Amino acid sequence: MVSDDEGCARRKLLSGVGAALVGFGAVGLAGCGTSGATGQTAAKKVSPPVEHTDVEILDGLLALERRTVAAYTAGMPLLRRADAKMAKQFLYQEFQHTGELLGLIKSAGGEDPPRPESYDLGHPRDDQEVLALLHSLERAQIAAYLHAIPRLKPGPVRAAAASILASDAQHIAILRLTQGLTPAPSALVTAAE
Amino acid sequence: MRPGHPMHTRRQLLLSGAGAAAAAALGGAAVAGSASASGVAPAESEAMRVYRLLSVEQLMLFTYDQVLVAPAVTPRTRRALAPLRAQEETHVHVLAAQLAALGGVAPSSPTSVAVANVDLARRRVKGRLGQLRGDQDALRLLISTERVVVGAYFVALTMIEDRRLIVLVTRIMANDSQHEALIGELLYPGDTPKAVPFGLVQGVQ
Repeated sequence: MVSDDEGCARRKLLSGVGAALVGFGAVGLAGCGTSGATGQTAAKKVSPPVEHTDVEILDGLLALERRTVAAYTAGMPLLRRADAKMAKQFLYQEFQHTGELLGLIKSAGGEDPPRPESYDLGHPRDDQEVLALLHSLERAQIAAYLHAIPRLKPGPVRAAAASILASDAQHIAILRLTQGLTPAPSALVTAAE
Repeated sequence: MRPGHPMHTRRQLLLSGAGAAAAAALGGAAVAGSASASGVAPAESEAMRVYRLLSVEQLMLFTYDQVLVAPAVTPRTRRALAPLRAQEETHVHVLAAQLAALGGVAPSSPTSVAVANVDLARRRVKGRLGQLRGDQDALRLLISTERVVVGAYFVALTMIEDRRLIVLVTRIMANDSQHEALIGELLYPGDTPKAVPFGLVQGVQ
């Protein structure tokens, strides 16, 4: 579920996404669903509390997740029907990621970081180019999580971040399958996929 | 205790610093009793955590091996699963090397379908080896087991402190999560909400 805070943030974000779409086509807003764990709920389960020193790391991850949300939202109208169904599911899950991260940030005493007015997402023109964009963004997220996770404390926060990374790893496998690539080329996920 | 697990291995593991918590995992009543009697929950060593992960990965690999030779499984599904099985073998090798570097000794792999089925039941996996009636049965068994594996990594990450080990465990967990998604895609082709249902992938604990 997208928490109330993040739901509100989502609306703000989507207005920001509009700016990102100059030269990218029309905005397609997917339904986001309402089930699953919220960031707030997940954060409450984390014990001991998130350390304030983690806020900067989590802010960076949240920024990447929001950029990916913008890309899924903006790219969906250009996708074929079957691919759009996949993207809609992944967009919903990316929202879950932002909610989880925001919950962790707030439980560490941090605040919702500011969002950019727009994102430079390039100018994909068709299904394949959108898939390539989404692939590159998921890969960037995986790289960021692999870098961040060993630096996070305490352990439950690391595990929470790993659960998001694992979801992004699933996304990239299915995206690669859709692109006709080997879906999971490495036994140890490296962000080179 | 894992059936067939040699006692000398347990002793070696304990002597290597794996800690008294090993007793609980390995079924060593005497050592577990003394730990319990002290009233202090012993800290589990990194070696013991890797041991646990290796144990569940060995079960995963054994399950793939059995599925791949099951007569009820079609060649098409076997071809799709073979690369995943190869990656499980890599996980086993990498974890075994890691455990050896920590001074531990690897657990025994399942020695028979019956032994593996006991372990699957203990881990609350639905479905049993030797009773597969087709691709769907096999895929459901594999996805359930993959979720147990992912859950084991998720729990381990809450406790592991060594940074290099954290990275290794995270990378394997991500790959096993990919397996979960790809098996989901085989079960529900083109139906991503069913194939990849979870936004926070934590497996089954």
